[in-house]
Amino acid sequence: MKKTNRGGSRFLIGLMFLFLYLPIFLLIIFSFNAGDSSAVWRGFSLHWYSELFGNRLIMESLYMTLLVSLLATVISTAAGTFAAIGLYSLSRRKRDALLVINDIPMMNADIVTGVSLCLFFVAFFQGWGAFAKWINGMQSAFELPTRLTLGFGTLLLAHIAFNIPYVILNVAPRLRQMDRNLVDAAQDLGCTWMQAFWRVILPEIKPGIVSGALIAFTMSVDDFVISYFTAGSSTSTLSMAIYGMTKRRITPEINAVSTLLFLTVLTLLVIVNVREARQERRSASMEPRKLTWMEHLAVRTSGPRWKWVKRGAGAAMACCFVAVVMFLTGATSSRPVVNVCSLGEYIDTDLITQFEEETGIRVNYQTVESNETLYSLLKSGGADYDVVVTSDYMIAKFIEEDMLETLDYGNIPNFELMDERFTNLYFDPENQYTVPYTWGTLGIIYNTSMVEEEITSWSALYDDKYAGNVLLINNSRDALAEALFYLGYSANTTDASEIREAFALIADANRRGVFQGKVSDEVFQKMEGGNAAIATYYAGDYLTMAENNEDLAYVVPEEGSNWFVDAMCVLKDAPHKLEAEMWINFIASTEANLANMDYIWYASPNREALEEYPAYYEELYGEELDQETYEIMAAPPEVLERCEVYENLPPETLQLYSQLWVELGT
Amino acid sequence: MKNKRSLFAVPYVGWMALFVVAPIVMVVIYAFSAASGGFTLEHFASMGTYASVFTRSFWLALLATLICLLIGYPAAYFISREGPRFQRVAMMLIMLPMWMNFLLRTYSWMSVLENNGLLNRFFSAIGLIGLVNGLFGTNLEYFPMINTQGAVVLGMVYNYLPFMILPIYSVIEKMDGSLLEAARDLGAGSGRVFWKVILPLSLPGVLSGVTMVFVPSVSTFAISRLLGGGTQMMLGDLIEQQFLGGAYNPHLGAAISLVMMVIVVVCMVVMNHFGDGEEQAVML
Repeated sequence: MKKTNRGGSRFLIGLMFLFLYLPIFLLIIFSFNAGDSSAVWRGFSLHWYSELFGNRLIMESLYMTLLVSLLATVISTAAGTFAAIGLYSLSRRKRDALLVINDIPMMNADIVTGVSLCLFFVAFFQGWGAFAKWINGMQSAFELPTRLTLGFGTLLLAHIAFNIPYVILNVAPRLRQMDRNLVDAAQDLGCTWMQAFWRVILPEIKPGIVSGALIAFTMSVDDFVISYFTAGSSTSTLSMAIYGMTKRRITPEINAVSTLLFLTVLTLLVIVNVREARQERRSASMEPRKLTWMEHLAVRTSGPRWKWVKRGAGAAMACCFVAVVMFLTGATSSRPVVNVCSLGEYIDTDLITQFEEETGIRVNYQTVESNETLYSLLKSGGADYDVVVTSDYMIAKFIEEDMLETLDYGNIPNFELMDERFTNLYFDPENQYTVPYTWGTLGIIYNTSMVEEEITSWSALYDDKYAGNVLLINNSRDALAEALFYLGYSANTTDASEIREAFALIADANRRGVFQGKVSDEVFQKMEGGNAAIATYYAGDYLTMAENNEDLAYVVPEEGSNWFVDAMCVLKDAPHKLEAEMWINFIASTEANLANMDYIWYASPNREALEEYPAYYEELYGEELDQETYEIMAAPPEVLERCEVYENLPPETLQLYSQLWVELGT
Repeated sequence: MKNKRSLFAVPYVGWMALFVVAPIVMVVIYAFSAASGGFTLEHFASMGTYASVFTRSFWLALLATLICLLIGYPAAYFISREGPRFQRVAMMLIMLPMWMNFLLRTYSWMSVLENNGLLNRFFSAIGLIGLVNGLFGTNLEYFPMINTQGAVVLGMVYNYLPFMILPIYSVIEKMDGSLLEAARDLGAGSGRVFWKVILPLSLPGVLSGVTMVFVPSVSTFAISRLLGGGTQMMLGDLIEQQFLGGAYNPHLGAAISLVMMVIVVVCMVVMNHFGDGEEQAVML
């Protein structure tokens, strides 16, 4: 080898590593930041590490990730090894055909694998539901569960399914290289097949098994897409938790997790490498290898009288394994539980703890980014929620499609405390299905240090003056409604030409580069960090942002806007209906409403809470609540007068909305 | 005894039928049926609307693959010429980020690329933004980087670069050294040895690397969502929207998935035509 340009090549390798590691080091550095920004340094602190261990979402999802990855690795390594041995005893033609099928999950895009498994599971659940009902109708000795949903089981199956091919791929070359006569020779010398397997085949293919297991584990830990489509709503892996968080406010707790993960992996790799290097040195010096304890055991117990003992031990180990799996997966379901799903970051989390302490019921709290996403999630069978919090027009749709359960208001005495302005509304005229959660307005949020004039009209959203600085709201209903209001139409219009005119306004502004991006809850960090000048979002969320950035202002435009009621409802056939009603009753109480109002800044529908809030605020913070703030939160009648409620649109109009919305991205 | 061993294959064949073949059959059924049931081709007929998403996805993925190749090939080649210790440590360092979560790696770029992010702060601190404004008469407060196509490509390159380096490295590393010696003995200069011997022999690794970067790039939705801010819609976003996003239509989503799957299969057939299939995807 020539040594001439080694310096140059090392420099290039160094540059590549800088590219690979610089972002990771920045993540690590900012995990020690005292402030919550990932761009401004405010001093050293270990604050985020202590927060991290108290963050239930992150810790539970970390546990879930490790559990699923380890189980999937163990199972797929064992199954993949045997499958590979089986495949290699088939004729070449059959084997090649099967290996092509084996390659499919590896070569397919993750999203296709995820989607196909999701469709398969959901179809299976539907078939199972019909079958279980039929069986349960036939006899009464035992009852089969009729309602299966995506969850831990499907997640594990999906991980095993995409891991096995990698194991086979790594074991197969070793099997191909192995001399087949070795096994025959061992058997001729009196080995049983099992003995030949343990003592001849296994040592020969061990490196392949190890690297297969390693790849399987890597793929499992790193996977996001397939988990996202197969885990359903109640199970969340670390990547799913991070994805959820990046869509909302990112806290440096993520940085802390990354740092810990990075250090763990680094330590493990260093240990493995040092050991490997030592082994290599030993084999280089031709020192005879010592038998491992497993080999010792294999030699000692090779006699025929051990046969039954070994079989028994094998069976016992298998039973233990199954028991551990069942314990781990069942541990969460032994306690009464209620699955709640809400829109975005939308509750004072202390209330969850308080409810759990008072009742002993575990609350599994999940969020979705929009009403439309919630609908998709429920329709695709990916969710097993009991309580959902969603907006007026979506509730109308749910009721129309018979997706909700009527409530037993006897279990919800706090319903009496609701202001009649927010009950018996158009979407639930008899009030059989819902208990209101919050209400508020949609408006424009802008940064007064970046926008000089006072904004009063929706026109600012489409103005070239602010090109590249406007954030479009990422749901078709609100985005189109804003344009419809601007054009002077109703947000509930079914006239396709009016909708298309509104869409043209948005699409045109999009083409001219007015919008920096489409956002949901990412709006928090974008607006708080001064990364955009204008956005549209909800009044309560504006108040949260204003806490972190004083330059922000909020306006309900003069052309009018939307006012909404979000309400809690229970899904049809919810498995924990009673617990769900207890939760709803708890949240409807005046104390919970006051705490929640203070935390999320959305106006409460609870009459007492709404009236008492200014006093509550004064007592809590020792200063008077700004009247302007209160009026942004709980819009006064003159503002509500120019606002309109969304109604559920007919299917053709909704289809037009979806179609136009996709078109906007193209 | 041979028959007994082949019995091991039976459960796996059953497993594959259930978890590999059946799910894909489901996708096909969904793609060709209407929401109300019955056979239809309307989902494929409407595919033209999304032509721009297809072209954008393929263009960005191609770009990312090319950049990965341009960085990854020299890197793999240079590393393989180093001593065994260096090689081992370098390989470890290349794989290390893969054990950190894929989304964490993508997220790490968000704070760097924001308008108010680290890179822009750095540029304005060293006066680069002022310099550019002075030179070109522009009035920039920051360089727009996040939510652009460049950011999406960067995210793909960053995430999938190891998938390019590893297969190329493993092929070059296993290359028979005597072949290179023979070439040199026969009078070839180092450039000629590279072009005539090393490059052709490393082609299977390159092909495998290209597939392993291109396929996840073309179908990503997390990267375009986080670094493209929803403005750079890709095939993955389109599919995700139909299943779990704002526009619920699993039949259309299945149809798009199917079209993408067919493209992947075509790519695979073309690849296998060039290289020996069995050597592919040798990562470790």
